[in-house]
Amino acid sequence: MDIAAFDAGLLEATLARALRRGGDFAEVYVEDRDSTGLRLEDGRIEQTSGGREAGAAVRLLSGERTYYAYSDALDEAGLSAAADAVAAAERSGAGGADVVHLGAVRSLPGAHPVAVPPDEVAIARKADLVRAADEAARAAGAEIVQAIAGYGETRQKVLIANSLGDLVFDDRTRTRFSVQVVARRDDVIQTGHETVGGSAGFELLDETIARQTAAVAAQKAVTMLGSKPAPVGAMPVVLANGFGGTLFHEACGHGLEADAIAKGASIYAGKMGQVVAAPHVSAYDDGSIRNGWGSQAFDDEGVPTQKTMVIEDGRLTGYLYDRLRARQMKAAPSGNGRRQSFRHVPIPRMTTTYIAPGDATPDDIIAATPRGFYAKSLAGGQVEPASGAFVFGVAEGYLIEDGRLTTPLRGATLVGSGIDILMKIDMIAGDFEVKSGICGKDGQGVPVGTGQSTLRIAEMTVGGTG
Amino acid sequence: MFDVVDAALERARAQGVRDVEVYAERSASRRIKVYQHEVEQLTAAERRGVGVRVFRDGAVGHAYTSDLTPQALDAVVRRAVDNAAVSDADEFAALPQPGGEPADVHPYDERLTAATNERRIELALAVESAALDADPRVKTVEDAMYADGEGEVFLASSAGVRGSFRVNQCHCFAYALAEQDGQVETGYAFSVGRALEDLDPEACGREAAERAVRLLGAKPCASFKGQVLLDPFVSASFFGVLSSALTADAVQKGRSLFAGREGQKVAGELLQLVDDGTLPDGLDSVPFDGEGVPTRRTPLISGGGVLQGFLYDTYTARKADRASTGNGIRGSYSGLPGVRPTNLVVSGPATPVADILAGIEHGVLVTDAVGVHSGANPISGEFSVGISGILIEGGELTTPVHEVTLASDIIGMLTNVRALGDDARWVPGGSIFTPSVLMDGVAIGGT
Repeated sequence: MDIAAFDAGLLEATLARALRRGGDFAEVYVEDRDSTGLRLEDGRIEQTSGGREAGAAVRLLSGERTYYAYSDALDEAGLSAAADAVAAAERSGAGGADVVHLGAVRSLPGAHPVAVPPDEVAIARKADLVRAADEAARAAGAEIVQAIAGYGETRQKVLIANSLGDLVFDDRTRTRFSVQVVARRDDVIQTGHETVGGSAGFELLDETIARQTAAVAAQKAVTMLGSKPAPVGAMPVVLANGFGGTLFHEACGHGLEADAIAKGASIYAGKMGQVVAAPHVSAYDDGSIRNGWGSQAFDDEGVPTQKTMVIEDGRLTGYLYDRLRARQMKAAPSGNGRRQSFRHVPIPRMTTTYIAPGDATPDDIIAATPRGFYAKSLAGGQVEPASGAFVFGVAEGYLIEDGRLTTPLRGATLVGSGIDILMKIDMIAGDFEVKSGICGKDGQGVPVGTGQSTLRIAEMTVGGTG
Repeated sequence: MFDVVDAALERARAQGVRDVEVYAERSASRRIKVYQHEVEQLTAAERRGVGVRVFRDGAVGHAYTSDLTPQALDAVVRRAVDNAAVSDADEFAALPQPGGEPADVHPYDERLTAATNERRIELALAVESAALDADPRVKTVEDAMYADGEGEVFLASSAGVRGSFRVNQCHCFAYALAEQDGQVETGYAFSVGRALEDLDPEACGREAAERAVRLLGAKPCASFKGQVLLDPFVSASFFGVLSSALTADAVQKGRSLFAGREGQKVAGELLQLVDDGTLPDGLDSVPFDGEGVPTRRTPLISGGGVLQGFLYDTYTARKADRASTGNGIRGSYSGLPGVRPTNLVVSGPATPVADILAGIEHGVLVTDAVGVHSGANPISGEFSVGISGILIEGGELTTPVHEVTLASDIIGMLTNVRALGDDARWVPGGSIFTPSVLMDGVAIGGT
């Protein structure tokens, strides 16, 4: 079935059914998702898989309470059962809010244009990409012992109707290619990883890009074979552009999500307008970047995505809201209500979050650092938004000595807490770049972009074994 | 749902597919979150779907659907066949054969089905109250919840595999925030079981509060290299990361640090590590795996710290010319089986935790580790994470510490296991049963 042409009468009836015993907001979220993935390892395509999942969720808000139910059946019986489940949970007894008549379907088909729909490309061409990546990775030398290449495409269509009368349709295509390479020299094993992804079609990829992606991953792994254990202690840390943005995402971004703010479980709660970063630091969350991996025309509550300034010249200027938290905190939804699928409750999530570029050059920054740690690529990290404490693994790091990159370092982690680190950013370059990733929160994974330019943190704890 | 499974098998036969396996599941789950003594979120969910795996001349294709109509079943089989045409052939890839009697394990408790929503809500509220009442410094319980789920799996293949089982489980969870002098520390705890009667909401809430409060006043400590006592939560994280290197998949593909070390000493004398999918109280216990192979008990490390073997699914077992250990695990109908542990059990001669602490001149009791999945590399064995805990000086717990790192390598940590506590418990998330573990030679990075 084509969910864009879903029966609006049934949606309205479902909303009214959900609200019949109380509640002040109801929503129906209909989703049809088709995914295809290929995975190559050990020089062969060992898994090719694909499938289609469709279903609908009904959500009822009553004051600060949320009731949520979903069904795999996109017919009247399925929607009614979900509406009955949320209505049964509502105990206020009195009739709920009225359902505003649904207007014409809103959509923004040109927001993230797809030149070549992946489902129109023969699967053999996708297989060629992972094979090309394998070849390119292994060409990097005899020390390459394993290459894993993955191709994935998703087309997700969502239709969102709510009791405010909104009716939104969003057709999202995402394409992603990733390569992981393992290199070995004697007893030392190292890995390298690189990805390309976007809210775009197959035009994003070709064999040259596949080979380049593999070559970058292979180079990381081989470089790290010659690495020494990272030192321990506090020192200046230079974070490279691109993957370095993961640090801002974890150390700061999660604390700006309004659910953590509402519960006072964030160090940024109650600090609006206050200084939370060095004076030359500005930062944004932007879900509207054209064709960005973390972008989509609307969030998963039907709110258009937008560019939100979260820090301006060191001062906190914005939080990231979904509808529920925006209601509670008397703010406008910011297009950050996202969910992994119809099986998940929408919560405030980042889209593409980044620190704005400055005017130094990466070379200036390294040259200005007599001794320090250069983090070229972060492996990922975690944060406790309540305390702001975070930790990051460094996938590729180097020692900075006398203003030059010297020895590759392995096994390093970066430890600190959000505001402390933002206050210590003392140089920012102009080499802005965004990388694609999947962010996990409350058991839900959503595509996000992280980015920044090369920047320096005057002092940070580096944990290593050397 | 055998009707759906059989219909898909029939569609495959009609399309000329000889080797096919169909996996169907249906499940129902509930989740109740409370906040400030009120229900904050109540979720009720049902899902079902079917996955089809076909083998054509050694090439594997897979497809899945949540639509169970005859047309959708026909389409999903066709898609699996098309996908098999893209995959590369491999002489060891073949349809799993019937593997004998399912393990005698019954991971389903009727009592959970009879529970009412009122009881569930009461339980979640009790978790939050217990955390708030435990200490005035607990300001908020950011997450206080009860959740349960039940599912039924149906598996059949053209080779004659045919089986079905039911599972259920429930748990409660608390994530408490304690505050003092503007400093916030967090603690979590959970209680798991197969019936509401198995859960202890008061103990769960209280423990989360205690774990947060005991860290108040924490600061970084000086760097040192020495002893750390990992509490069961942290120990479970460590063994969870390590277990991915004990799969035959990782070994055969050159991404395991244990490759080629079978029969060698890889851990301290005391330590034993077993995978066991048949334990009555193990949350990941099932009668057979995602390929129909009965689960079993598989020793991984025993006999004085010696590596005994690895975990296998059908493919890796054929490649190694041996039998599957029943570890071909499926996450859901939309995924292919992969080699993964069932329940992991860490054991050895138990020493009272108080005695272990008393014997530590200088070290850290580690109560939380963040970044285990990003900071630990199961391929290279490097292990570097951020930790919180309590300093141990002269055999006594002294000041709390946080924002320090713990770094070592997996083999180094294993071989330096010095003692195991008497506090073994189940830790969910990977279903691991482990006590506190004392390790030496670990680098703590602080000021």
